[in-house]
Amino acid sequence: MLVDSTYLLQLTLNGVILGLLYALIAVGLALIFGVLEIINFAHGEFLMLGAFAMAFVLPVFGLAYWPAILVAVILAGIAGFVLYELFLSRLGQGEFERSILITIGISMILLYGMQYLFSATPRLVDTSYGFAGVELGTIRITWTRILGGGEALAAFAVLYLLLNFTQFGRAMRAIAQNREAALMVGIRPKHVARNAVILAAALCGLAGAALAPIQNVQPAMGQAIIFKAFALVIIGGLGNMLGAVVVALLLGMAESWIGGFFDIVWQEAATFSIMILVLLLRPDGVLQRGRMRVG
Amino acid sequence: MRLAALLVAIAAFAVFPLLTGSNYFIGVTISGLIYTIAAAALNLVYGYAGLLSFAQLGFWGIGGYAAALTVMRFGGNFWEGLVFAGLVPAAVAILIGLPTLRTRRHAFVIVTLSFALLSALVARDWVSLTNGPLGIPGLPPPTAFGFAFRTPTHFYYITFVYGLLALGFLYLLGGSRIGQIMKAIKQNELLLQSQGVSPLPYKLAAFAVSAAVTGIAGGIFVFYLKIVDPTFLDFYYMQTFLIVVIIGGAGSFWGVVGIGLVMVALPEALRFSGDLRMVIYGAILVVAMLVMPGGVAGWLNDRRIAALRASLK
Repeated sequence: MLVDSTYLLQLTLNGVILGLLYALIAVGLALIFGVLEIINFAHGEFLMLGAFAMAFVLPVFGLAYWPAILVAVILAGIAGFVLYELFLSRLGQGEFERSILITIGISMILLYGMQYLFSATPRLVDTSYGFAGVELGTIRITWTRILGGGEALAAFAVLYLLLNFTQFGRAMRAIAQNREAALMVGIRPKHVARNAVILAAALCGLAGAALAPIQNVQPAMGQAIIFKAFALVIIGGLGNMLGAVVVALLLGMAESWIGGFFDIVWQEAATFSIMILVLLLRPDGVLQRGRMRVG
Repeated sequence: MRLAALLVAIAAFAVFPLLTGSNYFIGVTISGLIYTIAAAALNLVYGYAGLLSFAQLGFWGIGGYAAALTVMRFGGNFWEGLVFAGLVPAAVAILIGLPTLRTRRHAFVIVTLSFALLSALVARDWVSLTNGPLGIPGLPPPTAFGFAFRTPTHFYYITFVYGLLALGFLYLLGGSRIGQIMKAIKQNELLLQSQGVSPLPYKLAAFAVSAAVTGIAGGIFVFYLKIVDPTFLDFYYMQTFLIVVIIGGAGSFWGVVGIGLVMVALPEALRFSGDLRMVIYGAILVVAMLVMPGGVAGWLNDRRIAALRASLK
């Protein structure tokens, strides 16, 4: 097969942007797992809510991109707050299965509730950027994609600063590393857990809002991506945020290449197959070193 | 007393089709029985051995496809199809169970979930075998000794007999030494290991047995539906099994079976649009997990203990 370098570059660029957005979702899952030791099955619904917020708010602001993104992120954060205060805060230590079943129930309510209210029909989201793009030599890329990737990078920078240089973030890492020791030095686990869920939800809402103009918006969009994000988090090592980001980027590119050169079937199966392979070889994930790490 | 109640219940289910002429009610009862069997199998892995497995959905689908393919592609009959509907999922369960049961329980949940999704992808995309999204329609009625099981009533009896066998087997297994060790795994795996029992073979056995029971249930159900297509692997089925186990009470055989049979009536009571029904299922799941994590069986048990305590005062 003749590999055209322009084609390859185009695929890589699309893959990187897709990977960055996957990473936004996966990093939130890893954060929640690190701090609360639960897997949030309703995480995909934050993405869906972010995307729907974008779809509904854009026309209100006359298609202005940035205010709509801001609203979507704030709404997703509020959804995270509600999820934590109403449900997750009632969970005790080690109630892993119970947390999964509760979040599955919440995910069902949100997903099918949205489907009931707004139907399953995919919506196209138009922004003030439309389909305009930039030409880089022979390849072309739309503004909405560039902005999506840029927002993800900015979010990672902010997250890195938060986790490493603020009390807010250090408390999260402390809880993730050693819960008892964190309690002893006066960190309140409930507050930290609430902050972590809000932060993770906001990141996921950002991913949803950024995806809205790139993909179609529909109630099931979160569920389709979240299962993949679970796989990413497993491959990267549960609770390992850096691992989740790296794996998400690699997988975004791998998917894009596979989709470009092989049948679409393989694109979908790639993530899951790689995950099962990784688990056979390294049951605790590729990047897991010793204890669970965050940041 | 308990035995008498059980015999009455079995007799009631045995004569049920003779009392109602409505194929609709018989159909609802068939699906209720099938879901109950699959839920009881999930109860073996989750309720007893403490492994939250989403792979049941995959086994259910593989069983359905195995039975259908045996008849439509490989020239076997329905009964041989059911044998494969049991064997293939059990073999797959051992294959994926060996690596994943060694990982932490967190990873087990995700891997079994991914396996179920992967099965759905294969069913949809391996067109040369499964006929893709169109599925395999026109499954013929099963025959035995020249008798064809054509009507829903005939099918009801296949389901009824399988239900007796499967539930009886699961009940005996739960009461046996093996079942007791499975329960011990859930309660305290470290303590069990310290007693010199290796949990892995028991976990693997629970996983494989539940796969076989679920697979055969799936195999019977596709022949009742007369078609198998990728929607047979919809997450909806997994949610239904889960809800029966959770509401009934994970780890309680009678709780799960009782609620499973009661929930036969639920699709009737909830004849709204499909979306709204799922919203209600989700709400039931959330409320049940928050208010009575032990399900109906756990709740009754708590009441019983409270009554005993009160009588001691």
